[in-house]
Amino acid sequence: MADTDKLNQLLLKLVERQPKLFDISTTDGSRVAQSYLAEFDGNLIKKILIDRQLTTNKEEQNYVNFVDGGTLLHFLSFVGCADSCEFLLKQNAFPHATSKNGNSPLHAAVSNNQTEVIRVLRYHHADVYAENEFGKTSLTIANENGDDEAKEALLSVRFSSEEVETEFLQEKLPPLVEKVLSTKIDASEQEHCLMCLRAEIRVATSSMTSVPKPLKMLREFYQQLKDSYESMDTARTKSKKLLADIISVIAMTVDDQERVCLSYRLLGSQESVSSFGHPYIRRLCYQIPQEWSNDKPDDQLYQLVVDIVQYCLEHNAEAEACDLLMEMDCINEIVKYVTESIYERVCLYLTSCVKYVPEPEDSTILKTSLQIYQKFHQYPHALRLALILNDSDEIRRIFLECPDKLVQKQLAFMLGRQQVYLYLEEEDDCPDADDLHEIMANAHLNTNFLNLARELDIMEPKVPEDIYKTHLEHSRFSTAQPVDSARANLASSFVNGFVNCSFGVDKLLTEEGNKWLYKNKSFGMLSATASLGLVLLWDVEGGLTQIDKFLYSGEDYIKAGALLACGIVNSGVKNECDPAVALLSDYVLHESNTMRLGAVIGLGLAYGGSNRNDVLEMLSPVFSDPNSSFEVICLAALSSAMIVIGTCHSDLADTIISIMMNPDHESDLSTTHSRYLALALGLLYLGKQDAVDVCYAAIAVVPKPFCAFASVLLDICAYAGTGNVLKIQSLLHLCSEYYGEDKESEEKGEATSATKKPAAEDTEAASGATATEKTGKGEKGKDDKGGKKVVEPGSVDEPGAHQALAVLGIAIIAMGEDIGAEMALRTFNHLLRYGEPVIRRSVPLALALISTSNPELTILDTLSKFSHDSDSTVARNAVFAMGLLGSGTNNARLAGLLRNLAQFYHKDPLDLFMVRLAQGLTHLGKGTLTLNPFHSDRGLMTLVSIAGLLTVTIAMLDSSNSILGTGHYMLYYLTPAIQPRMLVTFGEALQPISVSVRVGQAVDVVGQAGKPKSITGFQTHTTPVLLAHGERAELASEEYVSLTPIMEGFVILKKNPAYIED
Amino acid sequence: MGQGQSGLPPGRRDRDGKKKEAKKRKIEPPIPTRVGKKKKSRGPESTNKLPQVTPHTRCRLRMLKLERIKDFLLMEQEFIQNQERLKPQEEKNQEERSKVDDLRGSPMAVGTLEEIIDDNHAIVSNSVGSEYYVNMLSFVDKDLIEPGCTVLLNNKLHAVVGVLMDDTDPMVSVMKLEKAPSESYADIGGLDTQIQEIKESVELPLTHPEYYEEMGIKPPKGVILYGAPGTGKTLLAKAVANQTSATFLRVCGSELIQKYLGEGPKLVRELFRVAEEHSPSIVFIDEIDAIGTKRYESHSGGEREIQRTMLELLNQLDGFDSRGDVKVIMATNRIETLDPALIRPGRIDRKIEFPLPNEKTKRRIFQIHTSKMTLADDVDLEEYIMAKDDLSGADIKVRIDYYSHLIITSYEEPMIIRVCILTIRL
Repeated sequence: MADTDKLNQLLLKLVERQPKLFDISTTDGSRVAQSYLAEFDGNLIKKILIDRQLTTNKEEQNYVNFVDGGTLLHFLSFVGCADSCEFLLKQNAFPHATSKNGNSPLHAAVSNNQTEVIRVLRYHHADVYAENEFGKTSLTIANENGDDEAKEALLSVRFSSEEVETEFLQEKLPPLVEKVLSTKIDASEQEHCLMCLRAEIRVATSSMTSVPKPLKMLREFYQQLKDSYESMDTARTKSKKLLADIISVIAMTVDDQERVCLSYRLLGSQESVSSFGHPYIRRLCYQIPQEWSNDKPDDQLYQLVVDIVQYCLEHNAEAEACDLLMEMDCINEIVKYVTESIYERVCLYLTSCVKYVPEPEDSTILKTSLQIYQKFHQYPHALRLALILNDSDEIRRIFLECPDKLVQKQLAFMLGRQQVYLYLEEEDDCPDADDLHEIMANAHLNTNFLNLARELDIMEPKVPEDIYKTHLEHSRFSTAQPVDSARANLASSFVNGFVNCSFGVDKLLTEEGNKWLYKNKSFGMLSATASLGLVLLWDVEGGLTQIDKFLYSGEDYIKAGALLACGIVNSGVKNECDPAVALLSDYVLHESNTMRLGAVIGLGLAYGGSNRNDVLEMLSPVFSDPNSSFEVICLAALSSAMIVIGTCHSDLADTIISIMMNPDHESDLSTTHSRYLALALGLLYLGKQDAVDVCYAAIAVVPKPFCAFASVLLDICAYAGTGNVLKIQSLLHLCSEYYGEDKESEEKGEATSATKKPAAEDTEAASGATATEKTGKGEKGKDDKGGKKVVEPGSVDEPGAHQALAVLGIAIIAMGEDIGAEMALRTFNHLLRYGEPVIRRSVPLALALISTSNPELTILDTLSKFSHDSDSTVARNAVFAMGLLGSGTNNARLAGLLRNLAQFYHKDPLDLFMVRLAQGLTHLGKGTLTLNPFHSDRGLMTLVSIAGLLTVTIAMLDSSNSILGTGHYMLYYLTPAIQPRMLVTFGEALQPISVSVRVGQAVDVVGQAGKPKSITGFQTHTTPVLLAHGERAELASEEYVSLTPIMEGFVILKKNPAYIED
Repeated sequence: MGQGQSGLPPGRRDRDGKKKEAKKRKIEPPIPTRVGKKKKSRGPESTNKLPQVTPHTRCRLRMLKLERIKDFLLMEQEFIQNQERLKPQEEKNQEERSKVDDLRGSPMAVGTLEEIIDDNHAIVSNSVGSEYYVNMLSFVDKDLIEPGCTVLLNNKLHAVVGVLMDDTDPMVSVMKLEKAPSESYADIGGLDTQIQEIKESVELPLTHPEYYEEMGIKPPKGVILYGAPGTGKTLLAKAVANQTSATFLRVCGSELIQKYLGEGPKLVRELFRVAEEHSPSIVFIDEIDAIGTKRYESHSGGEREIQRTMLELLNQLDGFDSRGDVKVIMATNRIETLDPALIRPGRIDRKIEFPLPNEKTKRRIFQIHTSKMTLADDVDLEEYIMAKDDLSGADIKVRIDYYSHLIITSYEEPMIIRVCILTIRL
């Protein structure tokens, strides 16, 4: 060490001679410095070098890389003279001086693993995070060299305790700041001081509960620093930039209304955004969107955004990256920056946001996620998003683009489930187009379903009695004879149909059909025959032969029922031969209206959502045919609308409106069937949102009470499943209007006085209602029924009919998203509490819609409470709602409740009929089917399902005239909503295979750290398996990989090449 | 703990917690009407509960979801306001209320529900101890009824006409801190790291649960403060109580020792149940060594009872049921005597030591205690700060108090002294 002492002495002399020695940073400064030293004792230097064994090639290389062009400090750091370094630093040498490659002395020290020097340098504000020209910090160099000691020295805590640190900072920082602030200081020294400050800020470690110490101290100088920045000479660009950086960071700790943090950041040196830590980024993220909205596109700002986004994506902060871009309205930019490792999380986050952002942002986000999935070739995901977007071109493109034939088949299964049928042309170049067509047509649905049934051992047909379980009822009650045996038989027909749905066998109809049919009367016969269609659902070839014999029956009702059954069998599946068209087309204009009815409904069910123009043309003559009853016309309209559902078909819309306006039908508009006319119009615009606006004006001229009804229905349909809060609000406003007795009489008295009660006026009545009402006022001569008196409850003419509809509407709109659905339940509670009878009657149905096939306990409790309501309509609706709520679940609790209700209502045939229906629905398909319109992780909505559910619930609004009257066949509109809730796995040759899967309750994993489990409370089963509402499945072993990430319905599995059996 | 059960005072609740399904039929039991408290009834009524919002991270998705909830709440509010204006419910409510009051009759008696027979019948015992088979009126909230709860009885028919809600043990309700202590963090000299640590492990999980979620970890459950007497453990706990808006329950270890068998553990259970009900909450157990000493073979019943109390505490800290937002702070000056199971990680995740103050801290403590006094010019605090004795914070305070007291008593008319001049002469 004697050498070192000598060296120090030499240095001292050197400093005396050349006070600005450390400035030697011109070309090859260190060599100059060495030559200075050599002047004193050249041998000594050599000796030091040899002593420290710095003579190998590698060291020379390092020397050239890190020291050349540097200062004396570089040299000393490199050779490891800690004492000399410290001495120099105390003489105000720059710890931030750079050598020719931009390396600081710290880099030099790290490259040669001089831990002691590293400590000394760090103590003197050297910056661990400073980058050289290759963008490497000393830390990365240490990492590259695998040098743990150096790394530790770089990262270790500098001070023994916090007090020491505070003292150190208190001692060092103020002089540095003063130097910066002083005007006399020269540029390089100021730069040096700023770099020291920056280094201190960067290394400041602190707890998340407090402000870092250096910032706390610097905060006092905040204003001064800002002033100094303003007054600083513009020539000193580097200092200015450094100072701007520092001000920007300090601004983080003060109340920053003017976005100082961001503006100074932009003025600063534009170094890596991460250098001041995560809170700094968060602050910038917060300020950027505010700045952005004020300004025009700004390249510098944009560059900053890109930096932040990239940084966040690299560090698993996808939420922050997405948020920033979404706030700036340029979310599509994210596609460029996502990487393989994070794209799934990004897409998951984005798609979860979709439900909650206003349009058109939602579709932008969806498109962005779609692009990301495409970028990483995730075709099933991309297709799912395209289906949500309902963009047929995109669907087709993705489908054809998919290179893997097997994945393409999986896509075909997905399309089939959503009932989208792509016709593949020759030029589409699909070698197995036939297979794909078959899959998309759901041709194998029935076979696969029966496989499942065999697997679960539930093939044995059930009779209604198996469901009623009257033997469990209390003997005291059940001795009583059924009062209305025809109605009981009708109920049994429905129950039989629902329970054995799609199993192909039952004990009532397929065995001794005629006998059972003749136990029913008139329309009962129709429904009983049609229930055969439910039993044979999806089995086009086998089913039609069984139905065929009834087409030759002498009884019109049976024939009509058989026609309806033909339609039902074809619901949701496609067949090249088009048997439904072939069979039904002849009867559309049959002289008997009953036959027409069967054919018309049948066509609607068979081709729902198919968008077939030929079927549409087949139905169109019905509208103009003078023999058509109004009911047939309405149902023909409904069927046509179901065929072209959600397409805004303008011709059909015109036709429907002209029927509404037709003076011949004016009186008919007050019958129960007119509601289907309005519904037909609504279905055309199902889910089309804004596109519906054109239609409002058109129906404004329709006679008044009907007009309100129709416009509400249009609104509901257009926004079905969107969760649009504004629409829900306007519907609630409708519900809070008050129709007292006086108002009713007023209305009947004179048309022009159709003003609202003043009280209702200022309840900022929904704009829609006011508008329609006003136009209604202008419309004269609607008062032909001035003499008409008692308006039937439930009819379209009832003063609150559109309110009842509005209640359903809240459910239909809110059902698309979880939070809204849950909150809507609260709303319904209020409606029940405050609402008029008409509103109370529809609330149970709304509850059923919002949670179809998902018997949630709270809802079940509410409904069971109302099943004993004093208002019999409320009670009946509640009972029916219970059936919908538990449809296809076999829910034991619900079944028990319904059995108790059956006892309770054993004397009232109508109530009992409802209970029986509910029981049948609960056991729909022996508990294997669902009516829920949402599938694919509750993300996709099937339009025809919604249409079906909506038709039935709207029919229920006037149950005494429809379901409980002769119109019970309306219940068959549930057919399009019936879907199996199974998971079937196929091998690569599409042969069913059994694998074990875990089935559990789905968990929302958005934004959670790490790889959280996506299901909870799982059980392991082997496929095929049933999935209850809200359940998710995942493969239990790694033997196979699934081609689609969403394990629902039909899934193709591929052998995992990496799988090793143990 | 069967023995000694007979020593319980009569009429004490039999708290087995199970809801009884009394109604039974031979063939198939009907669906049980839901009687009794739902096991997981957190916060207000379940129907009024708002949906849970995930993720917990601060992000736009969370904000959007919360906004959606807000929108719905606003709509509800608007709807209700409109309805109230159109057809005021108050009158109706008033009417219904008076009807219910009539049915209830007055005066009413208080009794204990012994058993639920079916939806409408139950066995109750009155204060004298005689038991009756009585009706339950339909307007009684069945959700609140469970065996052992206190009910209101009609004075003639003894029919159940109401449920008394607050069944917390009065012992526990005393522990709840109604008024925050005046000591704040500013009144603590030094102890910076300790304050920091307790903030991180107790306050932060309650105020920013999302940090832990983001990290993918569970926040610490509790801390133990230990160190020589008078080093500020209780003071720090007081400061926490002063600072936090969470429910603060404080209890001393010795309070948990009860006369009768089983009462101590029960008190511990009650304590944590109340804490959970009012969560987020902080439970502070002072002088934990009173019950938390190491277990050893013991033949004295009292000893064993104390050990059982501790075992219950162990279970509550990290047992089968997870305690939500309940943080535990314990304080002791004899950590070495504590049972290792009590302070194992998972129960107590942080151990915070309170050392004797160093010079700097002593200076702060002197400053804090003399800040409300006027000091004579010749007082040199440094002299005492530099003194070598191991002074704890409490020592310092008592010295200052003692000498101040000397000054007061040495004056003839202490009450008229405006300026107390402190001159300390050791």
